[in-house]
Amino acid sequence: MSTDTHEPAAHYDRVMAAWQLLLGDELHYGVFEHGDEPLDVGTAALTSRMIDAADLRPGLRVLDVGCGSGAPARTIAAGFGVEVVGITTSAVGVDTARARTAEAAVGAVTFEQRDGTDNGFDDASFDRVWVMESAHLMRDKDALVAECARVLRPGGRMVLCDLVGHREIGFAEVRERRADFAVLREAFGDAHFASLEGFAALASAHGLDVDRSDDLTSATLPTFDRWRANADAHRDEVVALIGAAGHDAFVRSCDLLEAFWRDGTFGYGLVSATKAPARSSVS
Amino acid sequence: MSTAPEDVQRTVVDFLTLTAKLPEGFSADTPLYAGGAGLDSLETAELSATLEDVHGSDPYSTGEMPQTLGEIQAFYAASGA
Repeated sequence: MSTDTHEPAAHYDRVMAAWQLLLGDELHYGVFEHGDEPLDVGTAALTSRMIDAADLRPGLRVLDVGCGSGAPARTIAAGFGVEVVGITTSAVGVDTARARTAEAAVGAVTFEQRDGTDNGFDDASFDRVWVMESAHLMRDKDALVAECARVLRPGGRMVLCDLVGHREIGFAEVRERRADFAVLREAFGDAHFASLEGFAALASAHGLDVDRSDDLTSATLPTFDRWRANADAHRDEVVALIGAAGHDAFVRSCDLLEAFWRDGTFGYGLVSATKAPARSSVS
Repeated sequence: MSTAPEDVQRTVVDFLTLTAKLPEGFSADTPLYAGGAGLDSLETAELSATLEDVHGSDPYSTGEMPQTLGEIQAFYAASGA
């Protein structure tokens, strides 16, 4: 058992540089329409799906919860004229996102170190909340969705994509396969998956109308091939950053996750939901 | 190792220390999961395996889900192991 903490912010701080080599600049899964696209095309396709679901328009204020290195925030700010506030619990994430945004000279994007389950922003202060592949690192999904709903203005939209669980894993199976799960934790941190239906139910419970719930499990499956290829291509650099054990855990995790994708245990999904518009008063 | 309460306590405390999950003021009544040490299902499975490795049996493998160190100690006391 590793004695390194797997708490998400500390884990992210440790692996950020290596992950940019392994996962690509966008630091998230890809959606592969044909199966043979390169990783950057797949990750851009997933971002495009989020953009479509978010219904972005110039002038809107967007909260990016779990912003990573800020790539999607820069994409939507530059491409759609929105103002983006990215938050992450990782100090390294904030520094990296700020530096890359300055290099790219993209305006209207800021980054702050905050917790998505207790973000501290005012009620009804954003038009869109964007949660791209960060929810699995927050144990309290109810608090996450509650905070997303709270900070949305009436008529605002929440869009969320993430790894999802397709079935319950009983304690006996966790115990039996604890070595496999420990490898996943070593590579990806302390992750907890909700189901696609679970995210939709939480959104409804917090007053949002769910209008989209897409299972992207098959479309994201080729991601693991691309990550393994990156691990092979950048082996020396990755080993220098996170050690041989970290590199090997990542590759083993790709194999395990691909098997879980194929056997129906885990997968990927996207949910979007709208906060009811304010009612006009009638005198 | 014996299943005397102090030996079981040492095993649990060592495990919680190793996993950085030992809460301040940990006692036999501190919840092991939410609201206490905060063990998740994988960490609980690892604790289960550790107890079996050290003490020859463990309550989780019998279908029990002890909530505290005290309940783990009670399992061993009742089993007479």
